[in-house]
Amino acid sequence: MSITLVIFSCILLVTLAITYWAAKRTATAADFYAASGSLTAAQNGFALAGDWCSAAAFLGFTGLTALYGMDGAFYGLGPLVAFCTVLFLIAEPLRNSGKYTLGDVIRSRMHTRTSLLAAITGTVVVNFAYLMPQMAGAGVLVQLLTGIPYNLAVIFVGISMIIYVAFGGMLATTWVQIVKAALMLGAGTIILLLALSLVHFNPLSFFANVEAKYGANYLAPGNYLKNPFDQISLGLGYVLGLAGLPHVMTRFYTVPDARTARRSVVWVMFLAGAFFVATTLFGLAAADFVGQDAIRAADKGGNLTLPLLAQHLGGGKGSFGGELMLGFVSAVAVATILAVVSALTLSTSSTIAHDFYANWLKGGKVDGKREVRIARVTAVVIGLLAIALGILAQGVNVAVLVILAICVAASANFPVLILSLFWRRFNTAGVVCGMAAGLTSSVILACIGPAMRGGDAVWPLVNPTIVSMPLGFLGAVLGTLLAGRDPDNEKRFDAFLMQVHTGVSHD
Amino acid sequence: MSLNEARTNAAHDAVRSLVAAKFRYLTPMTLTFMISYIGLTAVAGFAKSWMTVKVAGPLTLGFALIFFNYILSWALALIYEHVANKVFDPLAAKAVAARRESMT
Repeated sequence: MSITLVIFSCILLVTLAITYWAAKRTATAADFYAASGSLTAAQNGFALAGDWCSAAAFLGFTGLTALYGMDGAFYGLGPLVAFCTVLFLIAEPLRNSGKYTLGDVIRSRMHTRTSLLAAITGTVVVNFAYLMPQMAGAGVLVQLLTGIPYNLAVIFVGISMIIYVAFGGMLATTWVQIVKAALMLGAGTIILLLALSLVHFNPLSFFANVEAKYGANYLAPGNYLKNPFDQISLGLGYVLGLAGLPHVMTRFYTVPDARTARRSVVWVMFLAGAFFVATTLFGLAAADFVGQDAIRAADKGGNLTLPLLAQHLGGGKGSFGGELMLGFVSAVAVATILAVVSALTLSTSSTIAHDFYANWLKGGKVDGKREVRIARVTAVVIGLLAIALGILAQGVNVAVLVILAICVAASANFPVLILSLFWRRFNTAGVVCGMAAGLTSSVILACIGPAMRGGDAVWPLVNPTIVSMPLGFLGAVLGTLLAGRDPDNEKRFDAFLMQVHTGVSHD
Repeated sequence: MSLNEARTNAAHDAVRSLVAAKFRYLTPMTLTFMISYIGLTAVAGFAKSWMTVKVAGPLTLGFALIFFNYILSWALALIYEHVANKVFDPLAAKAVAARRESMT
């Protein structure tokens, strides 16, 4: 425990120093929301990896693989494949057509306040649905990893993210993510090398060992996701949902041009992808070396699998090497949470200050200094709200919110975004109906499904994306067609296409 | 039609041929990873027994396909970057030049 706290204190000091440095360089709206578009592809690639690998990825995938075999490996693969969608269809158009937010893209396509409001709704709902379980998870994990009580842990995490975001804006958030990603990949590399050294660098031995220990069924699918449609729905949620997560997509505004945005996606695919594939091996190695019983004894959900594996590889419980590795991995896990909640807070405060206040309420006629001040205050308010929600969420089943975040992203934000970018006839009514259909069907199906109601579920699937995503598209298309044609909007589309695909703005 | 309008249309046509080129490359690439990945989840859901067939020592078909999808994603990312640099960027530059002409 104490080693964890010492190592984590060092990480915290580094991130605070970064924030101090970043705060002096953050004055304008462009600084605060997008670090002035000054990052390199490698920097943004690392930051994307820091952003996208939440504690669920760092600790969860390993635990799921250790306890349930192949289904855990599916959890690792989806988040990588998702970047194919982002790379092919989303990253460069976003960089070219927006300034700071998803709302910017929709606004420059539709030129209406109503469509902007729909984009703000999608952003805020997804971010809060993502933020609340992260806070609750932070409380549980910090308590497990360091012994600090739940409420105190939530308050600590909340205050740290408020400091990063309110003072350092996007620049501080980015570097916190880069530091976290470097630590995470470093820890992963050490664990991988140590684990492989025990099996003569033949990863296939893990498969033979776990099959001998737990039987052939352990390596079969369906041990965690019992319903076959859930398997597919999870996959769809990932592949289309990532592109609808505003806190990840805003990262493309931090680079100078589309080419750099493209290159940064290739970076994150190799960095995060290597880590994800490693989590599958970590899970099998942990099932082999640590054993499922010991993993379940430490935490029912398997969240401590990776720290326990690190402890084992370092020399085992009680040894200096073992405790050092345990402390290191636990500290990195806490840093992981901090990086993700900071990005969510920043993205939410951006949409409220920039989309809602500056563009919706004031029609874009706002002094930049004032807008930044409002963004900072909003970040503090969101942070405090997140702390309160995190404390209230203790002991409440937040699993449904995790599903909801990715499901709404895939079913509401993604259809609206992709149709805005590629469909000439798409109009404001389509934006509103698509957002409404995707959002309400996700919320209703998630709330009557097993994640919320357990055995009493009225609806059989944990993840409703397979139904709600088509409904989101259907709503968007029907809304567009029912509203009739809008010649001005369709005529503007050529200029919009020019901006989306070349970055040259029409005015 | 005035000269200016003709030039504006030329600029729009240049963008449309860029978009057409993107669709030409990206449709098969998107279908490839969607079918490979979503197809794999469908097989995992509905044809479990296939997934446990051994393909190389203790490695099952399921895990082999999971690892294959990692490789496929990385390969597609590199192919995309190459195509974007070699095909899309020059077409985009052409569109920008056509647009600049329409502004003069």
